Amino acid sequence: MARKQRAALLPTNIILLQNLVKRDPLSYREEFLQQYAHYESLRDILMASSSSIKENGIDEELRELIGFITAVCPCYKEETKQFPGELKTLLSEHHRDLNPELREKIIQCLVMLRNRDIISAESLIQTIFPLLTEYSAVNNNTETNSKALRKQIFHTLVTLLKSLNSGTRAARLNKTVQNLFLSGLTKENALFVTKITIKLWYSQIWNDSRTVEIMVQSTLSGDAKVSVAGARFFLGADKDLYEEGNDDSDDEVDISQLKHHMKINKKTKKQSKKFDSAVKTIKKKQNKDPNKGTALNFTAVQLLRDPQGFAENLFKQLATTSARKFNMEQKIIFMNLISRIVGVNKLQLLGLYSYFLKYLTPKQQDVTKILAACAQSSHDLVPPDAINMVVRKIADEFVSDGVSTEVCSAGMNSIREILTRAPLAIDQALLQDLTAYSKSKAKAVNIAAKSLISLYREVAPEMLMRKDRGKEASIKLQGSKKGKSLQFGVESSVQGIPGIELLDKWREEQGLAVDDENEEAAWEEQQKDLSDADDIDGDWVTVESDKEYEISDGDDDKEDEDEKMADADVNDDSDSDLDLSDDDESKNFAKTKKNKTISRKAKKKRREIQEAEEKKYNGDAEESFKKLAANRILTPADFAKLEELKMEAGVEKLMGIKSSIRNEEEVDADGLVGPVKRKQTKEERIESIREGREGREKFGSRRGKIATPHSTTNREKARKKNFIMMIHKRQVQGKARRSLRDKQKVLQAHIEKQKKKGY
Amino acid sequence: MSKLTSSQVREYVQQVLTYSNETKKRNFLETVELQVGLKNYDPQRDKRFSGTLRLPQVPRPNMTICIFGDAFDVDRAKSLGCDAMSVEDLKKLNKNKKLIKKLAKKYNAFVASEVLIKQVPRLLGPQLSKAGKFPTPVSHNDDLNAKVNDVKSTIKFQLKKVLCLAVAIGNVEMEEDVLVNQIMMASNFLVSLLKKHWQNVGSLHIKSTMGPAHRIY
Repeated sequence: MARKQRAALLPTNIILLQNLVKRDPLSYREEFLQQYAHYESLRDILMASSSSIKENGIDEELRELIGFITAVCPCYKEETKQFPGELKTLLSEHHRDLNPELREKIIQCLVMLRNRDIISAESLIQTIFPLLTEYSAVNNNTETNSKALRKQIFHTLVTLLKSLNSGTRAARLNKTVQNLFLSGLTKENALFVTKITIKLWYSQIWNDSRTVEIMVQSTLSGDAKVSVAGARFFLGADKDLYEEGNDDSDDEVDISQLKHHMKINKKTKKQSKKFDSAVKTIKKKQNKDPNKGTALNFTAVQLLRDPQGFAENLFKQLATTSARKFNMEQKIIFMNLISRIVGVNKLQLLGLYSYFLKYLTPKQQDVTKILAACAQSSHDLVPPDAINMVVRKIADEFVSDGVSTEVCSAGMNSIREILTRAPLAIDQALLQDLTAYSKSKAKAVNIAAKSLISLYREVAPEMLMRKDRGKEASIKLQGSKKGKSLQFGVESSVQGIPGIELLDKWREEQGLAVDDENEEAAWEEQQKDLSDADDIDGDWVTVESDKEYEISDGDDDKEDEDEKMADADVNDDSDSDLDLSDDDESKNFAKTKKNKTISRKAKKKRREIQEAEEKKYNGDAEESFKKLAANRILTPADFAKLEELKMEAGVEKLMGIKSSIRNEEEVDADGLVGPVKRKQTKEERIESIREGREGREKFGSRRGKIATPHSTTNREKARKKNFIMMIHKRQVQGKARRSLRDKQKVLQAHIEKQKKKGY
Repeated sequence: MSKLTSSQVREYVQQVLTYSNETKKRNFLETVELQVGLKNYDPQRDKRFSGTLRLPQVPRPNMTICIFGDAFDVDRAKSLGCDAMSVEDLKKLNKNKKLIKKLAKKYNAFVASEVLIKQVPRLLGPQLSKAGKFPTPVSHNDDLNAKVNDVKSTIKFQLKKVLCLAVAIGNVEMEEDVLVNQIMMASNFLVSLLKKHWQNVGSLHIKSTMGPAHRIY
């Protein structure tokens, strides 16, 4: 009975049928075929007539049927051979006539079929990808569901590629899809392709040079939105936007803007709460990603096939008249990207520098970002005169007495950043002009000028004024005439092993022969460390230091002496040179005073010794390199010792920290302005006042205040007594009635007394 | 291969030399090169290093060098027998990409006189630096011959995108001692460039142009 009822229901209750078919496909074959025939007839009606069907319920029925057939497809492979193909043609040829819900269902079913391996991934992608062009935002179609469709396709493609690449890489599929994308970078769906590529890049599914090529094409596409998306990709700016499980994009807050609001608008509790929470979120983000400071999508930039060509094309896009479609913010993004690519790869793009000139005025919007871009784009292979233009312009526009502190320090700091990358790009006169600002009262400017001086002390002290050179640099200039002056075309790279002469000296003192290779132990040191050194950086260097210290006792004493000498020299410095640190004046004064007690003679002698040592030091380096490096392999122990000796002698400091790697780093645009003192809020002011009050007495007159509490004395009482009561007393009247002689006597006595007191 | 000693190096150098001088002598001067494989190094994250080292002897005597110079330097170059180009010659290239590429391919290195070098990027564009052959400056006071030798004997370690690099450190007609010295100098220098020194070195091979490679570390 029950069974019969169920059978009667079957033609209408499709879900029930689906369940039964799955359990026992053979016995329900008839029912299935019946449904299939129904589906075919409905489909034919749909294909024949276009819009008229929308009214009646065919649509819903068809949707159900398609879902049913898709679900049971694996059970009747023979019968449903045509089915996927039919769906595809329905979708690709009649998508305009379909109801949006039906369209969505068909795509879903195709994906399901793909999941069951009934159709291939390629064919699925090739079916749904062309739909994008039809329903893109650019084609102003009236359909309201195009956005939903695009979203569906986006998710379909991403999940599909993710699942296919989850185990082993589906290299062939990736390649075909990438080719499809490359060819499909037309106006209509460029933005879509860009977005999906970025998404796949950040989910680490696509990370090859082909992907980067797609991004290059989209960056150069000329359409503002697409190009900016591409540029932001290369800059690594939108990383968190696309990163897994981090889809909320609206918590992006511009802290500087909020700060500004806080200053201008009415100060309410709500405002300050908003600000605090913004600061908190930003801090959280920074904590999460420690190397966020080095933005730039490094991997992508390195995978560029032709960085020079890319940079040139980008620049063309930016500098020609077609750039009108970009607003200033977008232009700055491009400037940043071009400058990073130029800086990292040391490209030559001479037009870029003159392009910057136009924007280098203090009133330009976001000028610090442009200044940072200037600095990033300069490197030592650009002809100095090209960068010199930029430096000169910045100096003219930003650095003068008439401008505000922020402007001046921003200009000075960016000049410094440029010059660290291309130290030749300034002439002596201008440099000395700028360094004169080290006397400036404004702290930010002062610091900036001093940092410029310390930079040139290192790279080219001869360009500085005599008083600015500092001791070490001037000795170097006097002692060895050969001092390598800056020259264009000589790349700054490490030459020789720094500090090797120290190691040589130490070995000699220890009495170790050059090729006596007591290496078993030294290499074992490494072996032992290797096992646990995987995670700890450079820890292994210091492992045996304690042992070595004991041996080199005699050496240490000498080192101490040297240090003392060095100390004295530092003092010498301070009376002739400007002191780079921000020490108190009083401290300096004390130092110089102390120095005066040291006789000149002793000073001279010391200086001579120092010079001789310096000479020896310079000459030694090459010889000992030849001697040591050529005759024995330096073991890990040797390197450890070398490090230690360097540390002791402070060679590292002498050598400076400059290296050619600098231009891979980003210039922090916000940091260029330097430490600018903002106006305090009322709370801050009151806080500081309170702090000052702590532990001091109240200000005011001390008059009438008693140090220790006591009752009035007789003397006080007498002084305060009413005069009328006293006027008849002898005490008062007697004075007036004295004879002249008495008066004179008293006066004389008083005068003498006063004289004895010393008045 | 957990360590490297000078005696080991000597042994392998002997093998290399006997192979290319006796077992199978070639009709040209074979170069000996040092091939380095790095490890525990992420070129995307860690800083890339570069360093130059002047070896005591010229590793590749047949290196071709071209001199861009003013009249004075061109004359000096001619007397030395080096190829030289004046500003006019460079201007004739007309910034033609193909011609410049050809020029860059033709020579192993370039030297330019000091007055001229600042114009080189303008005259030749980015091609030379792209090929890693940006000229070295020479002034009128320098001895041109010495400078050319200097350029020839300088080797450069520069890490690019991949974790391996190779440099020429000598040729098979050098004496054994010299070759051993050069190898040791180069490897010491390289190791000193690395952040974690020997821990970053995966392998060291020496190899003559046509001979088999010998793993020394």
